Amino acid sequence: MTLGEGFWTKLWLGGSAGTKTGQAVDDLAIWLWWFCAIWFVFLMGLTIYFVIKYRRRPGVPAPRSRSHNTRLEIVWTIVPTLFLIYIFFAGFERYMNNVIPGANPEQIDLVAKKWVWSMTYPNGMTTAQFEKIDEDDPSEYPVFVVPADYPVELRMTSDDVIHSFWVPDFRLKFDVLPNRYTSYQFRAEKLEETDPVDTQGRRYRDHLIMCAEYCGAQHSDMLGILRVMSIEDYKNWVQTGGVNLGELTPAQAGAIVAKQKGCVTCHSNDGTRKTGPTWKGTADGTGFGYEVPIEGDGTVLFDDNYVRESVLTPSVKLHRGFPPQMPSYQGRINDDELRYIIAYMKSLSDKAPKSLIDDAAPPGEDKP
Amino acid sequence: MTQAAAHPYHSYLAPRGGFWGVIWDWATTIDHKKIGVMYLFTILFMFFLGGLAAIAIRLELLEPVRVAADGTVTGQLFRVPGGDIAANNELYNRIFTLHGAIMVFMVIVPSIPASLGNFCLPIMLGAKDVAFPRINLLSWYIYAFGSLFAILAIIGGGVDTGWTFYTPYSTTSDPNHWRVVFMIMGVFILGFSSILTGLNFIVTVHKLRAPGMGWFDMPLFIWALYSSAIIQVLATPVIGITALLLTFERLFHVGIFDPSMGGDPVLFQHFFWFYSHPVVYIMILPGMGVITDIIAVHAHKKIFGYRAIAFASLGITAVSFLVWGHHMFASEGELAAAVFSALTFLVAIPTAVKVFNWIATLYKGSISIDTPMCYALAFLFLFSIGGLTGLPLGTLATDLHLHDSYFVVAHFHYVMMGGTIIAFIGGIHHWWPKMFGKMYNETGGLIGCALVFIGFNITFFTQFILGANGMPRRYATYLDKFQPYHDISTFGSWILLAGFLVHLAVFVHSLIAGKPAPRNPWGGLTLEWETQSPPDVHNFDHEPVVTHGPYDFDTVVPPYCDEADFPLPPDVGGAHH
Repeated sequence: MTLGEGFWTKLWLGGSAGTKTGQAVDDLAIWLWWFCAIWFVFLMGLTIYFVIKYRRRPGVPAPRSRSHNTRLEIVWTIVPTLFLIYIFFAGFERYMNNVIPGANPEQIDLVAKKWVWSMTYPNGMTTAQFEKIDEDDPSEYPVFVVPADYPVELRMTSDDVIHSFWVPDFRLKFDVLPNRYTSYQFRAEKLEETDPVDTQGRRYRDHLIMCAEYCGAQHSDMLGILRVMSIEDYKNWVQTGGVNLGELTPAQAGAIVAKQKGCVTCHSNDGTRKTGPTWKGTADGTGFGYEVPIEGDGTVLFDDNYVRESVLTPSVKLHRGFPPQMPSYQGRINDDELRYIIAYMKSLSDKAPKSLIDDAAPPGEDKP
Repeated sequence: MTQAAAHPYHSYLAPRGGFWGVIWDWATTIDHKKIGVMYLFTILFMFFLGGLAAIAIRLELLEPVRVAADGTVTGQLFRVPGGDIAANNELYNRIFTLHGAIMVFMVIVPSIPASLGNFCLPIMLGAKDVAFPRINLLSWYIYAFGSLFAILAIIGGGVDTGWTFYTPYSTTSDPNHWRVVFMIMGVFILGFSSILTGLNFIVTVHKLRAPGMGWFDMPLFIWALYSSAIIQVLATPVIGITALLLTFERLFHVGIFDPSMGGDPVLFQHFFWFYSHPVVYIMILPGMGVITDIIAVHAHKKIFGYRAIAFASLGITAVSFLVWGHHMFASEGELAAAVFSALTFLVAIPTAVKVFNWIATLYKGSISIDTPMCYALAFLFLFSIGGLTGLPLGTLATDLHLHDSYFVVAHFHYVMMGGTIIAFIGGIHHWWPKMFGKMYNETGGLIGCALVFIGFNITFFTQFILGANGMPRRYATYLDKFQPYHDISTFGSWILLAGFLVHLAVFVHSLIAGKPAPRNPWGGLTLEWETQSPPDVHNFDHEPVVTHGPYDFDTVVPPYCDEADFPLPPDVGGAHH
């Protein structure tokens, strides 16, 4: 049993790290905890002992004592210095191992923007899987599958402000910057018998992703799930796990695109007011087919062209009462995706025309 | 030293003229004591504002924000009709920015030097005033003017950039609003106040020491003020330049930091921390100085290792300029990270030496357990935790986990609040009888100190565990597993608030009904205890001559004290005062 296991690791770090190199960091962290605790108890014990023993007694003078002792002062300068030198090198070695855990890694592109993470796999696939994290929190966060026991490198960049990619279980974070690429490497631990199995029989282990650099109103919603699977399951997931949008109805595909592009972070589908207006269309709402009040004066009809204009050049006709927060999606969304989103908005509105064809069944498929 | 009074005693607090006369007298005063008192009350007012924001932050975090399936929202401090989560979060972001900016720029940076330092430094040196009294008054007006800018930004709706103003967030958020510019201009203006105070102190220490006072006869509080004054003069211009660049970028779209205009956002972080790291030593060094003096006087013991403490202050000053990069371990390359980590550990050495010296001073002392001493002990306790938890943050491997988490929040609160603010309150109690000529209620002071100490630890120790477990800072909401710790922290903040309210009551009571203070209530040997309480307008009724060291408690009976209260060790024939 190493230092980085057991009760203190559970208390301080919430359990053992999800990587070998992270576990080495744990060992150092717990060693440091004991180092600090022992020094602290020693120093404060001495202080309390002196305060009690040498408390003031009326009429009794303080005994004569030295106010300077060169030998003692040299010792108490050198001893901490030696400890600090050791701590620096221990920290540097584990840091290097943790940031570069292996050669020839699997490279995945990561883009951060307010307030969603997205990863593009080597075959161009982006995840279509979104899940809840806390039972009582209905929000869903993207799931990214990575291979177990294989070096992985995320090539990271940001579309807007600075974010920071943190997987607490890996004991590692690195900033995601708008003007350059940064790298985040890890080698997740092998899966164990104790790890859960999903409905399709795949063993997996989840790690939380958090944004650690303040990025605005919904900074605390910028979460994700990093799902470790065996290399075989990873390959399989990257091939098929990302849903093929062409096999869905446009409205179903639109619901997924809205999550992938981060639309749902600011636009609700149930009338809840978030940073942007809701997409739910009812008489008291502002959804598809209704007149929308715009900044300045007047109203505009919420139709296909208004959606297109608002996605590509959001600042032209701002919905009155909402902050000018939305970034332009020019070059970041293709025509198909835009069409899917419009179809999805129509499906959320009671004013959109109903089709003769039941939209639950996609062409030539039994199930989505 | 019982020379005949050269001129009759006029308390500096005695009112001159009627109501408007008094106002005019204070508004135009160039007396360092009055300026110190004006600083004290403005800083305490800003502390009150920043404290209210802190209580609001903790209240918001009592529960995570959740939207149920039926649309009801729970856990919002600010209930917005229609359950607007983003608006609640934005308000939260504005409040923590407000808290950080006020506490750093308007409270902790000026706290000890501008109030206690202004009041004590000339008297401790035996001078009539600081070297440039008019500039001293100017610095207070600049402080008030800069604070006004910041308050206008807050009244206008607040700023949500965090007190660090990281680009490109600070240059792109709220593009139509002027508030960020106002806030930054406030910081820019406040910087001049800090520079002028620092300049004044440096010149005063060099030129206005009393006859017989050599460099190593100065109280260590003066050494600490001198060291931090050097940083104030050298580092503050950098934040001024950075604030100007940021303003130019926002107003005229000059591409310096914003990548969409060809700038580099990390450059801002380098500029910002090149000031803001040394500034934490502007904050802590005077606190260390206050604690050194409190411990020596209230333990009635010659300070252990005088020169080591003096040189440790200068050593910290020198190293403080070399460690800014440790705020960017998560955005810089391996080489820079290694260099800055190694340099960071250098700061730990003089800091550790000071702690050892303080504890060694208690050895064989005559320790009076009163409010200032309890604050000094609280400082030792909290600052040691703050210092030791700096180790895992300076260590590269562990920092990449702890960076930007609640662990950092807890660490700097232990250092800045557990260090500087605790020393500030301890110092206010220590010099209160001298400043206002009134004693305070000792029991009340001790109760306040105990509540602050307990509340502080409950509030902030839990945050170490939160951060190491994966709770990032500046989150308006959080996962369920963090809630127990957040709740404990919030309960602690209420105890902390109760402690400060007790202190407020004690101070008000003292001003109204306190017993008159003698010249030297604690038996101190530094010069401020030789003059009246409150001091004469001209500080002394004669030019003081220094005949003993500031901490020679084993050979000198304190002036204006009864020898029965402060007896000398038996083997010394008293070198009586």
